[in-house]
Formats: sequence, C-alpha cells, structure tokens
Amino acid sequence: MATAKRRAQRRDAGGPHKGKKELPKVSTGIAGLDLVLGGGLPAGRVTLLSGGPGSGKTMMGLHCLLHGADAGQPGILVMFEERAAAVRENALSRGWDLPRLEKKNKLYLMDARLDPEAVVSGEFSIKGLLAILDQRIKVMRAKLILIDAADALLHLYNSPLRERRELYALHEWLLDRGLTAILTAKTVPQEEAPSRYAFMDFMADCVIHVDQRVTAQITTRRLRVIKYRGSGYGRNEYPFLIDENGINIIPITSNVLQHRAPGPKVSSGQAWLDEVLDGGYKSGTSILFAGTAGAGKTTLACVFTRAACLRGERVLYLNFEESTESMVSNMLSPGITLQPLIKTGTLVVQSYLPEAMGVEEHLFHALKNLDELQPQHVVVDAISACKRMGSDQAAFEYLMRILNVCKERGITCIYINQTAGLDIVEEISGIGVSSLIDTIILLRNLPIGGSVVRQLIVMKSRGSKHSEQFHGFRITDRGIDLVKA
Amino acid sequence: MKARKRERPRYAKPRRDSYVFRLFVAGNESNSSQARQKLARLCEEHLKGRYKIDVVDVLKHAASAHKNNVLVTPTLILIKPLPKVTVLGNLNDDRQVLAALRLTGDER
Repeated sequence: MATAKRRAQRRDAGGPHKGKKELPKVSTGIAGLDLVLGGGLPAGRVTLLSGGPGSGKTMMGLHCLLHGADAGQPGILVMFEERAAAVRENALSRGWDLPRLEKKNKLYLMDARLDPEAVVSGEFSIKGLLAILDQRIKVMRAKLILIDAADALLHLYNSPLRERRELYALHEWLLDRGLTAILTAKTVPQEEAPSRYAFMDFMADCVIHVDQRVTAQITTRRLRVIKYRGSGYGRNEYPFLIDENGINIIPITSNVLQHRAPGPKVSSGQAWLDEVLDGGYKSGTSILFAGTAGAGKTTLACVFTRAACLRGERVLYLNFEESTESMVSNMLSPGITLQPLIKTGTLVVQSYLPEAMGVEEHLFHALKNLDELQPQHVVVDAISACKRMGSDQAAFEYLMRILNVCKERGITCIYINQTAGLDIVEEISGIGVSSLIDTIILLRNLPIGGSVVRQLIVMKSRGSKHSEQFHGFRITDRGIDLVKA
Repeated sequence: MKARKRERPRYAKPRRDSYVFRLFVAGNESNSSQARQKLARLCEEHLKGRYKIDVVDVLKHAASAHKNNVLVTPTLILIKPLPKVTVLGNLNDDRQVLAALRLTGDER
C-alpha cells in the first residue's frame, strides 16, 4: 500500500505540470560520469550499479561515497561479500584513506557478511541490519549509502517471492530515510537476459551497467546508463579506466562537432615543400603522411617538428614505434637535432607500447599530455601501430578522439600511416579516418636502376592549390632536399 | 576409580542455566513471534527446567544486535553450552532446529 501511494505521489510530482524543474542530483565526483548522468545520481533515490565480477562496480560506488564524505555528505558502506579490512586495504592501494574518514564519522563500513555456519530454518528478514543502520544513520547524519553485493543477500532467501518482498522492503526503507543509495549487484542488463533480479532494474530510478571485456588480449572497461527516471542521460557506451586517482570516464564521441576553422599556414620546415603545398601546412588541420616503410615519413614529421619548435610553437609527439632515445639518435643522421628542443620543453615526446594498455588508458594519457603541454601541433607516429591497442575499432576510437580534440582546440594533427603498398586507397587513408583528414601526403621509395628514388605527392589538400606532381627528394645530412627533375 | 566417577554425567541437580539461548527479534513481527513461541515450546519439551531464554528486540537494542553481528531477525544464538550455534529464521522446522542445537537422540 505504502509503495503504491508513494508511486502515485511521485507520478503527480513528475507529471505534465512539472515544467522544467530539474531533478535534485548528487555529484558522483567522477567528472565524466556526472556529464553522462546530466549532473549526478538522483538524490534520495536508488541507483543500481550492475555488472559482472571485477567490472569495477564496487570501486565506482566507493568513489562516489568518498566524494560525498569529502563534500560533507557522510556515507555508509554495507558489504555482503567482502571483509571490511579487505576493502580498506584495496582502497589504500588507490590512495584512498578510509580510516581517516571513519575516524571523522564521515564514513562507516558495515561488515554484513552472515555467519556461513549459521543454520537457516524458516523465514526471516533483515530487520536487524536495518536497525543497526538506523542507529548509525542517526549518529552520523548519513546521506549516502552504498549497498555492495545486494545479490548476495538475496541469494540467502532462496525464493524469488521472498527475494522480491525483501528488496521492496529495503527500497521502502531507503526512500523513507531519504538516502541517496547505490546498490551493486552482479547482473546483466535486462534486455540482454531477463534475470531473476529483473525487478531490481525496475525498482531503481537509475540503472548503470558496467562491464569488462577482453578483445585481442586487451581489457577494456565500459559503462552504460540503461535508464534514468526523470532525467536525460548520455546513451552511448562509455569506456572508463581505474587508475591511481580512481575512476576516469572518457566520453568517446562528443555529440557536437565544434571544430575550429583552420588557422594560418605554417612552414613545413623545407622551403621547396612549402612551395609544393602552396605555402605550407594549414595550422589546426589534420594531415596524413602515408607511405611504405623507410619512405621518410618520420623524417618529414621531424623536419616540421623542429621548424615549429624553433618558431616557439609547442609540439607533442606520440610515438608508438620507437623509444624517445632511439628516435632522437636516428634523427641525427638527417641532421635533425631534437634533444635541445626536448630540453627546453617545446617538444614533448611520449613513447608508448600500443599493446601495453587498452584504448581508454592510451586516450587518457594522450588527453593528459594535451592538457599539460597545450601544444600547437601533435604528431602520432604511427596510426598503423594503434591497431595493436586491441582492434581496428579501438584504433579508430583513439584516432577519432584525438583528431576531434585537436580540431576543437585548433591544434594541427599529423598522423603517420605506414602502408604495405601504395595501391589500396583505403589503406593509405588510414583506419577509416580519411574523411576527417584535410591533407594527405604520399611518400614512396622506388628502386630504379641501382638505387632508390624517393618521391612525394600531395594527394589531397582541402582549400589550397597544391602541386599535383610527384616530387623527387633526397634525405641528406641537412634534412630533406628536392631533386630537380 | 574416583576420577572415572567424576566424568559421568550428573543427573542429580539440573541447573536452571545449563542451556542459555539469546533470541533476537524485531518487535512483534510475525516471524519473530513465531520463533519466540517455537523456542519456548521446544525448550519445555526437551530441556524442562534447564534453560534460560533472553529475548532481545533489535528495534530497541540495535547496539546489542551489532555486537552480536545479528543482521537478520529472528536470530537464535545458543550461548551455552559451547560451541555457539546460530539459527536464522522463524524456526519452523523442529527436526532441523533440534539437530542444530544438538538436542536430537538421547536427551540429557
């Protein structure tokens, strides 16, 4: 009865007359997640965080709880599976000091594991637990509660009917106390497989599903909001990662294209090439260097990098092919000294092994570098190696995201793509990103007679009158020289 | 000879607190009342004059529930004789409850 009444009230409150009144929300403390949720979790309501074992749901819940505790909203963590001591230890490994908050009465860990040796005879309810919690809530003035592994509690009832009844009772109890609650449970989204816990989804006002999957031996965590009563939310799947700072969410596609218009032309570092390009590269645009191995792509990029740095512009060089040291020493041979530029900080080279991390983590590092350096130009060497982050899809997501961020911020983005041959247009243009590329420069080295002839052609350059010829060039100890035909 | 005599169980003076039970209930909800009645009956039948039952209402004594790690109601704890036994639920199954409390077979 009480349930029906409350529902009716809620319906009235949220009916057609509600106007534009926003649902009160509680920040999760996870920047990306607040964005996806349009501000945070529903205040005074129940949120279900579902996902398989190891998907990060407890960590996510704990992150919210700690954020609340720091923001003056004390919270309680009820654990049906884990030991309080283990949670404290795990949290400490992330730099979260739970005992500090516990001492200040901002956080309370309730170990609610049942005695495994207890004999069960007949029906029971969790009134004992609720009575204990009631007392704590009063003492602490708790506002948040995280109920971890609610499914473990339900398992105990061993009857779908009783499970449901107890869960409703718990729901009522939470609502009566005005607590902002997060329940975690090991479930799959209802639409994928209607489970016996489907009513959990129904009961909660907000349902978030997290999962962890392994594709091509690389693990990625993803998050999706399945529903949010009375609020809009991001409807995509969002990758997230857990690092030493907690949870990081990177919305992979922004829904608006807010690309800036291209900036002025900047020199490529070689006068003859500027001529070929009708004045140089357009800053703030995307440029692709494609070619076979040893065609001079990295050299071309480094010629530009050095010229840009000497003009006082900052360059971020993301290298997936070789270490910084080996790149610096290899570039000495064509006479390109990079070390002084790195020393002054105008050039930052970051070398990563593509398969070392999932795409989210790569993105996270790249975006962090972009934020820290605020470069005018970015070089990614090479996008062909990005496939080793997991899959073509992973590489595509990574490159799209970098490209979008660069275009939004007016950063020149140079992608290097190593191709096996020169015939396949698709291969040249790179992992499906070609429509967003403004300029494509193709490099090739042809064995003619007893030597190798290097050639370069501008295949596409939006909005400029570039040369349409192949140009022969040579890599000397002073950079790249034009070979007059 | 003397030592052996001492080892034999004493029938002579049954003490009032040979068996000590603590039953945690939540007010007068039905499962709690049921467990209370059932425990009283079982004790009368099997342990007449040798038992003591403490009933604790968790709604009034949450701290005690917490101390005893009582999360569900009703919870029955056999405090004495050791080892401790915990039985959850309204005690609807006589045989199961008696077995858990080691009261099956030859009653002492």
